[in-house]
Amino acid sequence: MKADYDTLLKEFTPEQVEKLKEIIERYKGKPGGLIPVLEEAQVSLEYLPVPVQKVIAAELNLPLSRVYGVVTFYSFFTMTPRGRHTVRVCLGTACYVRGGKAIAETIEKLYDVKEGETTADRRFTYETVRCLGACGLGPVVVIDDEVHGRMKPAKVKEVLNQYE
Amino acid sequence: MDTVTITINGRQVDVPPGTTVLNAARQAGIDIPTLCHFPSLIPIGACRLCLVEVKGQRNPQPACTFPVTQGMEVQTDTPRLYEMRKFILSMLFSERNHFCPYCELSGSCELQDLGYRFGLDHFLFETYTKPFPLDASHRHLVIDHNRCVLCARCIRACSEIAANHTLGLGNRGAATLISCDADAPWGESTCVSCGTCAQVCPTGAIIDRRSSYMGRNRQLDRVASACNRCSVVCAMKVAVRGGRVVRIESDWEAPVNGGLLCERGRFEPLHDERERVTEPMIRREGRLMAATWDDALEAAAEKLRGAGGADLGVAVSGDATNEALYTAAKLFREDLGASYLGLLNRNVPKLSGRSGTLADLATSDLVIVVGVDLMKEMPVAAYLSKRAVDKGARLIVVDDGDNGLAPFASLTVPTSDIASAVAAAAAAGRPVVLHGGVTGETAEALKKIADKASFIAMQPGVNAFAATALGFNGDGRAAGTKVLYMILGEQTVGQVIPGQFTIVQAAFRSPAVEGADIVLPSAVWSERAGSLTSTDGRILKADKAVEPAGSAKADWEILALLAQKMGKKSLSFDETSQAALIEIKGKERA
Ligand code: SF4
Ligand code: SF4
Ligand code: SF4
Ligand code: FES
Repeated sequence: MKADYDTLLKEFTPEQVEKLKEIIERYKGKPGGLIPVLEEAQVSLEYLPVPVQKVIAAELNLPLSRVYGVVTFYSFFTMTPRGRHTVRVCLGTACYVRGGKAIAETIEKLYDVKEGETTADRRFTYETVRCLGACGLGPVVVIDDEVHGRMKPAKVKEVLNQYE
Repeated sequence: MDTVTITINGRQVDVPPGTTVLNAARQAGIDIPTLCHFPSLIPIGACRLCLVEVKGQRNPQPACTFPVTQGMEVQTDTPRLYEMRKFILSMLFSERNHFCPYCELSGSCELQDLGYRFGLDHFLFETYTKPFPLDASHRHLVIDHNRCVLCARCIRACSEIAANHTLGLGNRGAATLISCDADAPWGESTCVSCGTCAQVCPTGAIIDRRSSYMGRNRQLDRVASACNRCSVVCAMKVAVRGGRVVRIESDWEAPVNGGLLCERGRFEPLHDERERVTEPMIRREGRLMAATWDDALEAAAEKLRGAGGADLGVAVSGDATNEALYTAAKLFREDLGASYLGLLNRNVPKLSGRSGTLADLATSDLVIVVGVDLMKEMPVAAYLSKRAVDKGARLIVVDDGDNGLAPFASLTVPTSDIASAVAAAAAAGRPVVLHGGVTGETAEALKKIADKASFIAMQPGVNAFAATALGFNGDGRAAGTKVLYMILGEQTVGQVIPGQFTIVQAAFRSPAVEGADIVLPSAVWSERAGSLTSTDGRILKADKAVEPAGSAKADWEILALLAQKMGKKSLSFDETSQAALIEIKGKERA
């Protein structure tokens, strides 16, 4: 199969694509090259969508199903881009009864994302979690490493605006 | 050391070194329960149902992957093992939806059988409540992940047997799913619809749309048959119920295609909706009118009696059986001296060199495919070539246009560069050349490796190998004859020549049938017994699976009846088969 690098240019910069070529070149034809290629590719490209997996499969002469199997097996690999910031809304029991659900819905509406997704501008990756051990502060939203307690739907935008 | 002696449940068993405990036990008639194991696939020890106790090993070991060693002592049936197996089964039943009454495989499911065997009359653990997806995007197959036990038989079949690698595992843990490519819908994936995965799935997870809910396995009869859709002539088993073909399966024991069929062989015949010819017809006052067999044969015989050899021609389609070809050759060539003996398909002349068989692909280190698109025309030969590539063989495709095997080739060259393919073959150990019709220059270039390579002419006509051996070579001209007898079989090719008296033996309506003067209804592949010769000279037998449509008869039988009508000697089916075999094989040797 011919590797289709051109489609990658829709999602990645020419420098990133060049880097991918360079990574593959170093491992091509060597047994056991798949995982190191995926690791390095993820560092350079940040995520490994299907077109990238196709290129790697073609270049390493492996079935696409194998590459996909490895990418989805190891939690280190991701097929969707991560945002610059990670927003985690707690939906554990304590936060939930104190209105965590409404916070989650507000974020989903304001930024047009669903659980596990990243905003189109790659600003936020939005996730929900079950209990962060900060129940006294509920409902809790954690952005990157910072905990924001006693959240209200009306405050969501203001708090998130602190993160570019 | 030729054999290793071990004891299983106190019994001595002698087996070759390297045998697995499971195979040693089976050889001794000791049954060990299995689920992920399938004889034609490489064992992976995934399900752990085959656990056995091996003296000296602390933990039980999976019999399907554990190799025997001299003096090994094995127990297959201890109370501890029984409890372990029951526990594993309970987990499997609880992991996904195994409410059997709604499942197509209920009654012939390997998981269900094991459940009965271990007395699981209720679910021991809470069952899974989250539904898994179902993919019905494939035109022939459906996968219901709720029934899947993740035995990976389908994945191994897709990789090891079909060499297609579409199927794999996606995700991990409880979320693990069988996935196509990178999670593509099955119908949009790289799947080639060979159906092998469906044939190995032990549960109702992969089912085929056509045969589902049409009968439990034990309600089906299996009839040995041979595919007549291309010249690979794959051995197959026809599943029949109530006089109807329910499903077509591959024959695991078949030497060349074992386990494999292609979409055309496995699924197409079940969807053939062309209009059948169901009764004999004679043209009267310009119109084709129904007639009795006796009248139609008499009319044909009279016409043939009146035509001298020079005025008489016969044309056969590629799918005529060996028996029909033999009977036709006797009658038309020897008895009537017909001037034209034609083959309706192009004939690919054999190149000079050692004749090989498709089985050679399994041991080849270099495969040259020239002048034929196997993916399109003889898919199983293409899969076998891909299998060789997976084993490390180089594939060289020589083609001036697109070729379905090109993506898997290490080298694709235009015919003008045949020299580089030949050079590579000259350096290889066991090259195989699969060729279609080639130009004189190409044939000349290939002569350089005539002593070294196995050559296989890939005939576009199904039974062209036998047709050629029996003298149907297309010498002479059909147009010059006054009476033409056409044995069309299942093909709908050809047209009548105006002014020529045409007798057509056919299964389906076609322009040739519409224009014919006498029409004799022919049985299709499943309705007749007969043998076919593959493009590499193997003879495959088919039994009759179902009754013919209307009053159609087997192709050879029509010819035998006609010979009788003409006062010629006719042979029984077995005699015909035997005589055909001798002539085909004899010609091959000569
Ligand atoms: S039908 Fe054949 S190619 Fe398609 S997934 Fe099944 S085994 Fe693979
Ligand atoms: S689909 Fe069938 S063959 Fe494939 S892993 Fe699931 S149960 Fe096994
Ligand atoms: S490869 Fe040819 S003979 Fe085999 S199943 Fe396909 S069409 Fe039939
Ligand atoms: S049959 Fe041996 S582990 Fe499944």
